[in-house]
Amino acid sequence: MSGLSFLFPAFLIGGLAVAVPIVLHLLWRERLPRVPFSDIRFLQAARVEQTRRRRLREWLLLALRVAALLLLAFAFARPYFSNAAAPDRPATVVLVDTSFSLSAPGQRDRVRAQALEAIATAPADHLVGVVAFDDTARVIADLDAGRAAARAAVEAVSPGVHGTRYRVGLAAASALIGAREGRIVVVTDLQASGWDQGAGAISPQVHVEIRAVASPAGNLAVVGIETEAAATTVVLFQTGASGGDTRVSLTVDEELVSEIQATPEPGRTMVRFPVVLPVAGVARVSVVDTVGYPADNHRYRLLDPPAPAPVLVVTSDPRARDAVFYLERALAPGEQVSRFSVDIIGAAAIAVRPEQLDRARAVVLVGALGLDRRGRDQLSSYVRGGGGLLLVAGPTLDPGVVTDLFNDTDGPRLGLGTTRAHDDPVTLTPTDLRHPIMRGLGDLVGNLGRARFTRTLAINDSGEAAEPDDTGEVIVRFDDGSPALVEHSVGAGRVLVFASDLGTVWNDFPRRPTFVPFLHETVGYLTGLAAQPREFLIGDAPPGVPDAPGIVTLAGDVRRVAVNVDPRESDSTRLAPERFQASVDRLAQAAVRAERDEVAEREAGQRLWRYALMLMALVLVAEGVLASRTA
Amino acid sequence: MTSAAGSELSFLDPAILARIGSLELIARTIVEGFLVGLHRSPFQGFSVEFSEYRQYLPGDDPATIDWKLFARSDRYCVKKFEEETNLNCHLLLDVSASMGYGSHSVAKLQYGAFLTASLAYLMHRQRDGVGLTLFDDRVVESVPTGTRAAHLRALLATLSHAVAGERSDVAMPLNQLAAGMTRRGLVVLVSDLLDDPTRIIDGLKHLRFRGSEVLVFHTLDPFELTFPFEHAARFEDLETAADVLVVPTEVREHYLEQIQALVERYRRELRLAGIDYHLANTSAPLDTALAAYLATRGRRW
Repeated sequence: MSGLSFLFPAFLIGGLAVAVPIVLHLLWRERLPRVPFSDIRFLQAARVEQTRRRRLREWLLLALRVAALLLLAFAFARPYFSNAAAPDRPATVVLVDTSFSLSAPGQRDRVRAQALEAIATAPADHLVGVVAFDDTARVIADLDAGRAAARAAVEAVSPGVHGTRYRVGLAAASALIGAREGRIVVVTDLQASGWDQGAGAISPQVHVEIRAVASPAGNLAVVGIETEAAATTVVLFQTGASGGDTRVSLTVDEELVSEIQATPEPGRTMVRFPVVLPVAGVARVSVVDTVGYPADNHRYRLLDPPAPAPVLVVTSDPRARDAVFYLERALAPGEQVSRFSVDIIGAAAIAVRPEQLDRARAVVLVGALGLDRRGRDQLSSYVRGGGGLLLVAGPTLDPGVVTDLFNDTDGPRLGLGTTRAHDDPVTLTPTDLRHPIMRGLGDLVGNLGRARFTRTLAINDSGEAAEPDDTGEVIVRFDDGSPALVEHSVGAGRVLVFASDLGTVWNDFPRRPTFVPFLHETVGYLTGLAAQPREFLIGDAPPGVPDAPGIVTLAGDVRRVAVNVDPRESDSTRLAPERFQASVDRLAQAAVRAERDEVAEREAGQRLWRYALMLMALVLVAEGVLASRTA
Repeated sequence: MTSAAGSELSFLDPAILARIGSLELIARTIVEGFLVGLHRSPFQGFSVEFSEYRQYLPGDDPATIDWKLFARSDRYCVKKFEEETNLNCHLLLDVSASMGYGSHSVAKLQYGAFLTASLAYLMHRQRDGVGLTLFDDRVVESVPTGTRAAHLRALLATLSHAVAGERSDVAMPLNQLAAGMTRRGLVVLVSDLLDDPTRIIDGLKHLRFRGSEVLVFHTLDPFELTFPFEHAARFEDLETAADVLVVPTEVREHYLEQIQALVERYRRELRLAGIDYHLANTSAPLDTALAAYLATRGRRW
């Protein structure tokens, strides 16, 4: 149900000003001048008719004046329609922590017992609901389901492998209570790290009670695996009392590779396995911990190298490798593991070998001699379908062939102009440091300016240094201000135009240390490699990934990724109930602020005050007209 | 006739006359000025006894020229006669509270007093017997009919002390006068007639029935005739003290219709009864009222 509320209700007191016109109205009636007249009988006769009209007008005048003042007070109070629900029966929501920090032996039973007791001791007039939470929240017994259903839901609760996010759970419980008065009973282990993440707020009128469940005496967890050239380092994390020596085993594809006896100290302990792991497979490190949480006793790491992204380099003459020598060596240096796989193809062959274009994650167009109409159409379709294209200026790229590559439809105008020779060489100057390419270069961005360019291509129609058309975004400029690297969005894909060549004919860029990183980041940006993580934490994994640590193949992809539990959850450090309560209070205060902001935003969206003021203006106009006829 | 006087009669303006303290002086001023402007004797035909000769003046009736004297002396002279009359005139002046109303320097009562004094003076000049009755809802004061100069002074003194009284009952003195009337005469009523019109008309008819000539001066203030008020006010009845909240713009049309209807009713019904009716606007010069009297006087006697 929606109701009318006010952002500044104190202004409604201004409505008392309606007394002013009422008093004035009455005083005016009493202070009318008295005019002696010889005989009022004719006036009385006329007055019988006009008095009714006048009395009506007077009351109407009064009503209009009062309405004007009320509307003014109404407008200043900033009204808005709220969606507040009508008050209902109070409620108790039992918020049960199901994170894996409650999976230690015996904890599950203690959680159930506390939750059942919370249900049993809930006030008789309260509705009772149950919300289970870890890094997400789920209503497992709604308020109208009854206490028996709540008890049954609690009986079925068991800890999972997710981390703790108190804010998420408290917000869900508060949302379930809604506008009612109510209380939330949190059954948890008061884990300190549970406040680190998540977002949410609780209603200020909700009271939060804590039912603490004891933590295990200690917990040992595997929180990290680092592979090096000649060894593998495992990071163990011990909280609470140490269980003494433990066996740490390293397996690859379920075959034991090494096993070490370690003595974890409280906090982090590094365990080094002097073994070289294979370049592919799944590594798992396990410890034996009978006291703490089972979920963090194993950790997985994917050893598979990332599949090289196929890049198609298009030249005018595929036999003349000199033009693409530096480009090819930079992208595919010939090592065992390469980030890109490079295919070189002549421009004239695009039309006859479209499958190579389809397979490529990105295309680098270095030369366009022989690129016929069909080839251009296929290249255009490739980009529109989501492909990436890097247009590289140079001696073999005819701007006239590619400048209208997308102009036949609604694509951007690339605006490739004429070649400019620089007697005084120009250098690169990053323009958009927030662009992923520049961010990927990191500190190397500063070294881009060392390359010297003696010839560049003007990226516009006239051949002069000028801006590309509106759809282009300049990422790097030459120091004379002309664009050096410009990005265009074309359909689902993107096009980068580099205004000089990637050989050594027009510049000395390939001889500079920044050349390879620049090219990797640029082509990597086009292939989208940067957005392909290979390891996820449970809770952060994309949809479809099962809630279990291990190695999974992403749906709709050939990639395998490692999924591990959140190492923060392995820290069983507890908060004192007072500090936990203080955090809850801050959450409520934040909720008050958020509610205030939300109300202000809602009021700003509705702007009812404008209608009130407009109505008041109309009322005043009517009052003016009526007053002039009544005076 | 009097209209020819034009600006010469401006001293007959009631507002100017009001500055003159003595009512007798006012009456003389009005009448003499009126007569000079008239340029002919209003008394011709009223008397039979020769008094003296007077040089003919333009405006005199050529019929009054003594042609025998002209033959003897070659001078145009007219005969003057001492008036001998037995006409009794009775002046009735309404002094009710409503007559106290005035929107300018002359209230209706003051205007009525001027008019009554002038008529008395004029009647005295032509040797008519003149009496006076002041009334509101009763006879306040009465001066019997007489012709002597002292009588006139007493009458004017009574008039000068007239003040607005209580509620009006115009029919009452009319009926009383009619009942006590032994000789036919002329009755002049000066009143705003703001009373029951039917009773007033019946009273006047009563007088007429008794053989008297009746002349009515319906004395009204210009504000009563035009109701020019603009702002809302409480209008208080001078006679009843009742008040009413009035927005003039709202009632003006209705009021004017009513007052015009009242005037028309008096004019119509009194004419049918053979009674002369004259609407006296207190902002208009008094000569029109005197001329109306003379017209009535000349027509009857």
